Amino acid sequence: MADLFWSSMTELARLIATKAVSPVEVVRVHLDRIAALDAGLKAYITVCGDRALDGARAAEAALMAGTAAGPLHGVPYALKDLYDTAGIATTGGSRIFAQRVPVRDATVVRRLGEAGAILLGKLNMVEFAYGPEGLNIHYGHTRNPWDRAVHRMPGGSSSGSGAAVAAGLAPGALGSDTGGSIRIPASLCGITGLKPTYGRVSRSGVLPLAWSMDHVGPMTRSAADSALMLGAMAGYDPADPSTSVLPVPDYTAALTGDLKGLRIGLLRTFFLDGATPPVRAAVEAAATTLAGAGAVIDDVDLAGVMRHAAAASMPIVASEALAYHADLLRTRAADYDPEIARRLRVGAYVTGMHYVRAQQVRALVRDAVDGALARRDVLLAPSTPVVAPPIDVREVMLGDGASDVRSALIRFTRPFNLSGHPACSLPGGFTDGGLPVGLQIIGRPFDEATVLRVADGFQRLTDFHARRPVLG
Amino acid sequence: MTTPSIDLETLRHGARLAGFAWSDAELEEIRPQVEGALRLLEALEAVALGDAAEPTTLYRTL
Repeated sequence: MADLFWSSMTELARLIATKAVSPVEVVRVHLDRIAALDAGLKAYITVCGDRALDGARAAEAALMAGTAAGPLHGVPYALKDLYDTAGIATTGGSRIFAQRVPVRDATVVRRLGEAGAILLGKLNMVEFAYGPEGLNIHYGHTRNPWDRAVHRMPGGSSSGSGAAVAAGLAPGALGSDTGGSIRIPASLCGITGLKPTYGRVSRSGVLPLAWSMDHVGPMTRSAADSALMLGAMAGYDPADPSTSVLPVPDYTAALTGDLKGLRIGLLRTFFLDGATPPVRAAVEAAATTLAGAGAVIDDVDLAGVMRHAAAASMPIVASEALAYHADLLRTRAADYDPEIARRLRVGAYVTGMHYVRAQQVRALVRDAVDGALARRDVLLAPSTPVVAPPIDVREVMLGDGASDVRSALIRFTRPFNLSGHPACSLPGGFTDGGLPVGLQIIGRPFDEATVLRVADGFQRLTDFHARRPVLG
Repeated sequence: MTTPSIDLETLRHGARLAGFAWSDAELEEIRPQVEGALRLLEALEAVALGDAAEPTTLYRTL
């Protein structure tokens, strides 16, 4: 069991349930891996070693007593450090909250615990989730595990989640996504990350960036594992009034591998046309693979409305973020990363009129995506236009011109935070230099099952999700 | 589209209206970001919305 840290959550759950392996061994293997590699990766802010081992021993005892908790019994995982955890500091990636210790768990943390999952620790992130590069001056810049020579961006804001899962420091993790913060690190780190429909998963007990754009979801090494985690997390929560009362389907049962007849719209204009050549080639090859399995592919043109996504997103995120941080900016400004403080202060120059107008444009974006999905099951696009840039890069050349790196990274993900549609990033290929390319699948509202079915179907046809970075 | 420029006095006014008393040095630091934001707000105002574009605040939660 030397490579137990590369086992999927699905496989670990099966091994534990059949008593082929002890949850104590599983947790210990992951803690050893963290101890060996995290000084270089900087994926974790807090490692809960003793607590995780106590949980594993309790899980082992429950298993022997025939009282296993649920589908994730004894399976370890980790959390982006903005999920409240009772008795464990929740920093939001900021030194301002370094001593902030919640008294209760976030709803999804409680639900994962009830399903039997064991928390390994809290993961590094961009301070207060405000940025896509994945850098943090307080807890160290997380390193992308796919390049040992060059320090590349892991993507953010769920940088530690992306790096930890890709490097085998956790089999799965939770991230959060306001403009792409699950899908961007999933893309750059070569893992599978799902932003569910707005309202599918409770945000109660999760530090906000922008309430109306925030989504929480799983980051794993396969679509099957994301299905497993989502099933344990999703559903109505009275503590989050934005959650839906729609029943939670069996996401794992939806993974049939059958792609025949599925109608897939390829987002060519704005998305594919804006990507760099290696990303464009990988996504086109992925479309060919899906077509070969019986899916019906056609081109979709949403460029007209997507060009407004940046202008609609900025006033919403800037206003909501400043509303949350206003008091802290007055009293603790010097304790923020200066760059994060500058981003937050911009919100002071957005008027109420602009906020409402942005919400009007948001409705246009939502309606356009709904319209494209009226005749199709899912849409297909790149997750990011580029593969992981070196951390000192400020500008990148895209398929349609130069862009600052922040705008480039969120360009293809942000529209679906505006619209609320479920969207998944999964490995869709690799560059000649060995860097992962992210493929994005977007689905109808509350139809995560079909998004995951397509992602899982693609992973049955390819090995991109099974490739591992060389570490150590 | 040209990049809108904003002077220090206007930055000061905007911050005060929003309830913040930032120093001139802090205001100078954010000038490039504010100018970028103004460019996006100009683009937002140029979007043809029609009469029926009702604002949303979140997806139609069911």
